[in-house]
Amino acid sequence: MAEADKVSRATLVEPDLPFIHTLSRRIGESYKKCMQCGTCAATCSLSPKTAPFPRKEVIWAAWGWKDRLVRDPDIWLCYQCNDCSTRCPRSAHPGDLLAAVRQESIIHFARPRFLARWVNDIRFIPLLLAIPALLLGLALKLRDPIAAALGISEQADGRIVYAYSSHFPHWLLNGFFLSCAALVLLGAVLSARRFWRSTKAAFERDVGAKPVKGVWPSLGAALKNVITHDNFGVCTTAHIRYLSHPFFFFGFFSLAAVTLWVITSGINPLIRGEFIYPFAFWSPWKILANLGGLAVVAGCILTIRERLFGTAYNTAGNYFDWSLLITLILVALTGFLTEVWHYFRMEPHRHIAYFVHLVFVFALIVYMPYAKFAHVVYRTTALVLAESFGRKRGVPSAAAAEEQRDPIMPDTPPAEAQELGGEPS
Amino acid sequence: MADKIGVFICTGYGIAEALDIEALSKVATDDCDAAYCKTVDSCEGADLDAIIQDIEREELDGAVIAGISARRYQDHRLPAGVVVEKVALREHVVWCQPPGEEDTQMLAEDYLRMYVAKVGKMACPEPFQPEEDLDKSILVVGGGVTGLTAALEAARAGYEVRLVEKSARLGGWLAKQHLSIPVSPPYRELEDTGVAALMSEVEEHPEIKVYTSAATSDITGAPGLFDVTLQTVGNDESPPENLDTFRVGAVIQATGWRPVDPRGNLSYGEVPDVVLNVDLEEMVKAGGPLTRPSDGKEVTSIAFIQCGGTRDPAHHSYCSSICCLTSLKQALYLREGSDEAKAYIFYEFIRTPGQYEDFYRRVQEDPGVFLTRGDVTDVERDAQGQLVVSASDTMLGEQVQVKVDLVVLAAGMAPNAADGEAIRALEDAKVAAVEGDSDTQRAAAAAKVEELQHHEGTEILNLTYRQGPDLPALEYGFPDSHFICFPYESRRTGIYSAGGVRQPMDGQSSRDDATGAALKAIQCLEMTSRGEAVHPRAGDRSYPDFFMQRCTQCKRCTEECPFGVLNEDKEGTPLLQATRCRRCGICLGACPERIVSFKDYSVEIVSSMIKAVEVPDEFEEKPRILALMCENDALPALDLATQSRLPINAFVRVIPVRCLGSVNVEWVNQAMSVGFDGVILIGCTYGDDYQCHFIKGSELANSRGENIREKLEKMAMEEQRVEIHQLQIKEYDKLPGIFETFAEMIEDIGMNPFKGM
Repeated sequence: MAEADKVSRATLVEPDLPFIHTLSRRIGESYKKCMQCGTCAATCSLSPKTAPFPRKEVIWAAWGWKDRLVRDPDIWLCYQCNDCSTRCPRSAHPGDLLAAVRQESIIHFARPRFLARWVNDIRFIPLLLAIPALLLGLALKLRDPIAAALGISEQADGRIVYAYSSHFPHWLLNGFFLSCAALVLLGAVLSARRFWRSTKAAFERDVGAKPVKGVWPSLGAALKNVITHDNFGVCTTAHIRYLSHPFFFFGFFSLAAVTLWVITSGINPLIRGEFIYPFAFWSPWKILANLGGLAVVAGCILTIRERLFGTAYNTAGNYFDWSLLITLILVALTGFLTEVWHYFRMEPHRHIAYFVHLVFVFALIVYMPYAKFAHVVYRTTALVLAESFGRKRGVPSAAAAEEQRDPIMPDTPPAEAQELGGEPS
Repeated sequence: MADKIGVFICTGYGIAEALDIEALSKVATDDCDAAYCKTVDSCEGADLDAIIQDIEREELDGAVIAGISARRYQDHRLPAGVVVEKVALREHVVWCQPPGEEDTQMLAEDYLRMYVAKVGKMACPEPFQPEEDLDKSILVVGGGVTGLTAALEAARAGYEVRLVEKSARLGGWLAKQHLSIPVSPPYRELEDTGVAALMSEVEEHPEIKVYTSAATSDITGAPGLFDVTLQTVGNDESPPENLDTFRVGAVIQATGWRPVDPRGNLSYGEVPDVVLNVDLEEMVKAGGPLTRPSDGKEVTSIAFIQCGGTRDPAHHSYCSSICCLTSLKQALYLREGSDEAKAYIFYEFIRTPGQYEDFYRRVQEDPGVFLTRGDVTDVERDAQGQLVVSASDTMLGEQVQVKVDLVVLAAGMAPNAADGEAIRALEDAKVAAVEGDSDTQRAAAAAKVEELQHHEGTEILNLTYRQGPDLPALEYGFPDSHFICFPYESRRTGIYSAGGVRQPMDGQSSRDDATGAALKAIQCLEMTSRGEAVHPRAGDRSYPDFFMQRCTQCKRCTEECPFGVLNEDKEGTPLLQATRCRRCGICLGACPERIVSFKDYSVEIVSSMIKAVEVPDEFEEKPRILALMCENDALPALDLATQSRLPINAFVRVIPVRCLGSVNVEWVNQAMSVGFDGVILIGCTYGDDYQCHFIKGSELANSRGENIREKLEKMAMEEQRVEIHQLQIKEYDKLPGIFETFAEMIEDIGMNPFKGM
């Protein structure tokens, strides 16, 4: 490479000191003690052989290179199983560091900014809960005038038969939450797009120039990976999550499926005759929903136990981790409470419980792009990107091997890296 | 010379099982004319007591104890005034030969003959005592942390000390430092340098006399007898004048170090905001906010460049070991000034030896200190006056740049030393350039003058030594002896180097070093006063005696002595300074007139051993090989080999020598004329990584090989009959092979034609 080329490639680094403080605070101690031995990258079951993480991320973080880190797709390929943290000879906690960086990345890509700030600051809890409470209260207050204006009568709400009461009519909740969901989806898609663009550039820089697979096949492969929980399976230290995350995942999707069934009940051609709502206890949908709810609670209990009493993480986690856990568990518990009181016809308990439940559902869904829940979007996007660049665990990227030179570890010839990669021969 | 010699043959140790003891006793009494011969069970404990009783009862003046190696068992109960030698029958015969064989018996008998002959020629050494009283005070040159500590430690041990410092005040570099790196557990926080306390303690100590703005203009004499002249340090207004003269017994050179000048590298010398670490230290020490030299702007960011422009193989290739620590420390100066400040450290290897690793970790954890490996390619000034530092091959995975207010070059350390031997060589070359015999000689000398010119006027100690006015220097100019085996030792007895002048080191190591050197100096004073060798033959009471009537003033001894023991007068007559001597015998090996001898080691003594060997005539087909082996490594290697029961060729007869450099050509001559078929010399490795205990001994033996070859040629013999080997102690397993190969070669070329003549 010509000398001039080299000079032009030099990047000005301006360390972000507050960023370093933030990360250290989140991890619980300084990660700057890293001596770049590379044990973390070598021990990681998920790290590719080319430009492996988390070693490079730790030095970037030590240099306060926020810009570089928040755009780094590799932080999303890490599942914080903390095998690296367990083996780090300097106790720099690279796994916890990457979790802290992911939090910064979510905040970085989220729009509007102020909402991201509110969602990640414990002092804003009253405000964040007041918003859905007020909006929902307002909607209920205006229920009858809106119904009159739209010409909806209690009797004429499609095929839906309210088994007990029509205090929270179907059309109102559908309308309210669907408009919220639309806003959230828009926000999520926009964030994902910004994320896709900047991380793709990072991949091109660190891994090699060309994607080796199209977006749709990559999406298919990524989803398969997500559903099978393959990446959790190879983890040793936080292995409990191979159990707890499927609980969350399938529990949440059961509940989402039931919700979707309910939302679409008015127009669903599969439904013949009357749609009795709420479901009877022995309705298959109710059973699915109850199992889903129980799964979420079980996932929460396992996770909370690991965070409080386990050894996988350096700290018990911060507000970012706990807000998601607590929201999830509150959504599930208020749901169950509503159900129980409903079956026992407790009045007005079940209305109050349902109202509170809806407030937490709002918090879970609407604040999602700003909270830990946003990993659903970012991680999936990063997995698709990684698939498309052929960046898989334990394998040097084809593009990098072609370039005959590893950009991060220039001393390791790709041939050797390939050998170490352990591809079955 | 022992006349009445007793021989004691041990039957233990498996000796009686392998040898015919009766025949052996007969050799002692009949062949050797020993006055007394007795077999004993062993030569230790109660058996040794019995031997001593026998010696006293029989009024013997010499004894040979044939049993185990003196290296394995030493006993100081042996009666004074009696010459005693031990024959290692167990190690050199029983352990390495098949028992009961004829050759085994012949070997044992030869060793007995050799040692009885040796004792017959030996006398008990009498310690050297000069006419004048030996002085027991110490001169310390250099008033930095090393000099101060050495002075204080020696004074505390009860020795009078004179401390000379060139500058106007004591304290050296440490006094210029703001704070010190942590030197006590938990090695995390910066500490006071402690040099002020040290200085006042030295100044107040009644046994220490301090001279500042002074230098040594002359040191004449030898350990116990150094006459020192001090001069004031002159300047343009006042020329140097004599300050004091006094006598000391030993000298410690603690002249410290200076930073390597990286001028021309990384904009140093061109951009005022590129400074050295020592400059930054003074800037911080001055107090007040740290500002840029160029425009006075407050410094909020610094880039430290390790090995700053100095780790260049062509220029200054060694690691100075403390610059990394200094930069880590200075990064904390900046960080403690402001929480917003940023310190960048670019290194090739970060080196924080020992416990300092903990300090490294502590600095590493500071949020505002940024470390990476990297080659700093460029330092440039931008339009705003900021310095842009570019580095490639960094751990960040790419080329990076940082913008800083100040760049600090962590330059290495060079010793404040002069190379005494080079200065002398320069002097000789200057003379030769004028007085040389031929044009070629004069031209070669002129080239030499050119090459050594930079040594002109660099004298520090100003010793009056034949070999030059300062300590000889090793690689990179450090006046060391052998830093692994013999720290503090120099190549001049009684003169010890310590601290930064000896090796790059930090303040704490300098204190330790100073203490070590003070102990060395004290050891020198005490042993010299008893007439004993100081190092490495500590305790040896023999010393060389020159039979001056036969001296031809050939200067070989004065030139070859690695320790400058021999001064010479105008004619080239060697003038022995006995207390400088290390008793290696290199002068003995050098002397063509064979006028140098020790009471217990001389050309004659070894010749008598050679002659004592019974050489079979050529029809017996039993060749004889003489092995002259260095006592320091080759002989222990032989003991190790036999301890491992490795077989040694039965035709080899071993004679230990003090150093391969002490081998006189006469011995080879002698061996050939009595019918030995070959001579093998085994000594230490030499060259850059020499292991010779006497620095140049084995190398000299090798260069004298030419002489030997000439001698053989004169005798019409094959030059292969003499071989010189270098052997490290760890290579003991090669020894049998060396002998075997040599023996085969001798068999090929045939027996010595002089055999039986």
